[in-house]
Amino acid sequence: MNRKKVFKNVAMLGAAALLIGGGFVLYLFNMPHRDVQATKTDFKLESSQLVTEYLKSADEANQKYLDEEGESKVLAVTGTVSAIKDDLNNQKVVLLKNAGEKAGVSCTFTEATNSHAAQLAPGQTVTIKGVIRSGAGYDEDLDLYEDVILEKCDVINN
Amino acid sequence: MKNSVFLLIAFGAFVLFSFKPIATKLVTKDAHISFFSHTVAEDITANNYKVVSTLNTETGEVVFSVPMQSFEFEKALMQKHFNGKDFLDTKAFPKAKFTGTITNLSAVNFGKDGTYEATVKGELTIKGTTKPVNEKGTVTVKGNQVEVKTKLKVVLADYGVTFAKGKPSTNVSKEVEVTLNAVYQPEG
Repeated sequence: MNRKKVFKNVAMLGAAALLIGGGFVLYLFNMPHRDVQATKTDFKLESSQLVTEYLKSADEANQKYLDEEGESKVLAVTGTVSAIKDDLNNQKVVLLKNAGEKAGVSCTFTEATNSHAAQLAPGQTVTIKGVIRSGAGYDEDLDLYEDVILEKCDVINN
Repeated sequence: MKNSVFLLIAFGAFVLFSFKPIATKLVTKDAHISFFSHTVAEDITANNYKVVSTLNTETGEVVFSVPMQSFEFEKALMQKHFNGKDFLDTKAFPKAKFTGTITNLSAVNFGKDGTYEATVKGELTIKGTTKPVNEKGTVTVKGNQVEVKTKLKVVLADYGVTFAKGKPSTNVSKEVEVTLNAVYQPEG
């Protein structure tokens, strides 16, 4: 084997590696966001159960539900619709909370799913699937209870 | 005579209570915070519409509680980096918080429609590190709705968010611009 041929092979191999590596970097850079509704549900539970877990130990609940890279657990939460509002981003926000409870589960819908939230009515029992962003708890400075926050929500069939 | 004294007291009480502001604590659960980072390499924006905030019109106290995982980026990878251990470590520190007071409260008339300049002094806690903050903002009163807007610069290294190597060190600005917009309603 002559030197030229070896050089050619090495160059080809290098070019191929560069192409694959470059493609991978490009893929990572443009990686789409996770489709929460297409993701498997991690936990199915009642809104009051989720709130109780957080009020008991926020640390333990965060350990269980939050993900280090923000791809936290996908939950299907069943509860009573307490209010339906619009946020500053023009998304529907459905609060699942039973009368007399300190905190509820706030579910923010998306452009694709807002119309489903609009069909709900206060008092109705419903199951909503979404990704958890933060937990419930009493905040001394706010002097009020914060709700569990779910986003990328949609109404699902039980 | 006794009757007129009684009437006077009753009238006084009526005047006092009827003119007392109805709500002193204003609340929002969907304030908007965005941040913007500019470098030669790229501009990065993230939005968070899930900020909980209270504003006490009597004491001037303002509080913001920011669920960190609700920041959304255009690129999924950036969002992952932001949440990750090397950056904001949002699993260990799921919330950032600001507590402060409007220092020129007398210049803001919550009972009269209008836009007022306000100065706020307080403390910002990000990733477990607390630093003092002094900022200016505007308070707009319209009926019983109050809107607060402000912009502040946050030096990431102040809060232990540092990156010496790799792409983030060239593509993320050392100082990010944070914009805040909160529309409050009376509590209840």
